[in-house]
Amino acid sequence: MRFQDAAKDARAVVYAGIQADPLVAQAAELLADASPAQRVLARAVMNGETEDAAGWRTAFPTLFGGPAAAQGLDDRDRSEAILAASLAVAGRGDQVRSQFRGAIVEAVTERLLARRVPGATLRRERRILFDGVPAEIHPYDVTVESPGAAEAYDCKWGARGISPDVLHQLDDARSHAAAEGERLLPVLVIFDARRSCEVRLARQTAPRTGTRLVTIETLDRLAGRRAEAAS
Amino acid sequence: MTPIPALVERIVSAMAGLVELGETIEDEWTYVHDLETVWVARLRAVAAERSATAPGPDLEPAIDRLIDEAGRIADPHRAIDWLSTLPQATLVALGEVAW
Repeated sequence: MRFQDAAKDARAVVYAGIQADPLVAQAAELLADASPAQRVLARAVMNGETEDAAGWRTAFPTLFGGPAAAQGLDDRDRSEAILAASLAVAGRGDQVRSQFRGAIVEAVTERLLARRVPGATLRRERRILFDGVPAEIHPYDVTVESPGAAEAYDCKWGARGISPDVLHQLDDARSHAAAEGERLLPVLVIFDARRSCEVRLARQTAPRTGTRLVTIETLDRLAGRRAEAAS
Repeated sequence: MTPIPALVERIVSAMAGLVELGETIEDEWTYVHDLETVWVARLRAVAAERSATAPGPDLEPAIDRLIDEAGRIADPHRAIDWLSTLPQATLVALGEVAW
């Protein structure tokens, strides 16, 4: 089993430009330390139509003050910053925002993993090659390339991104690694609730038992931290 | 002041509108209806637990705003995303665990 940089085709070059956009890094930095409820705010705003910040503050009273707010000043400031960054993403337009959202989930995943694994082992956009097996077309969004304990991450914005192709690719990588006597943990990171992911998975016949599922409520586990309640 | 179960039913109605839009994506018909089923069950369970609780003054405006947002969704793909997002946002507004 060996890792390799993905080919720089036209799609990869365009997407690399989005991944490098400062807005992606800003949003990822905020969301890596966000509460689960703040992550729901980001999901709603980046999925939404309204670009009126006041309206979103009204929709999330537990984050933006008023009698129901239970957060301290730091959390309120972070909620404001997340709202501003999410509105900036939503303002990029329909086509581009979906690419931004995907890039943000990848960047959040990378940041959280960096708290658990050595930075030198953490890579982006990598293929995994096995002897005698044709290479997969799609690279993995994030990999942890630790000898004997490798991890491969596919990151999606929503539960709808879970497809047979995705599940097969992850499971194939795990089984090919095992055939070579290597350990590879495939992980699907979904910026959506587990409840929605389970609905999506319920009718899939592709193998999933060897693939770990990390959802919006358990993102912190990427960093080795326990998940918190989201209210 | 509108009781919590009535506010939740307004969200359930808004979700029905999203279902109507999302089910036009033929391949996602089952997923859309399954999503509605599980999230409506979760929301109604919360509503039942909170039926005797007076809602805070911020809750009804929050629900109004979320319903308004759902009503603005015109794209069926976005509607499917919102079918998962709207109940989570509602639960956060209710001060509940969002899943």
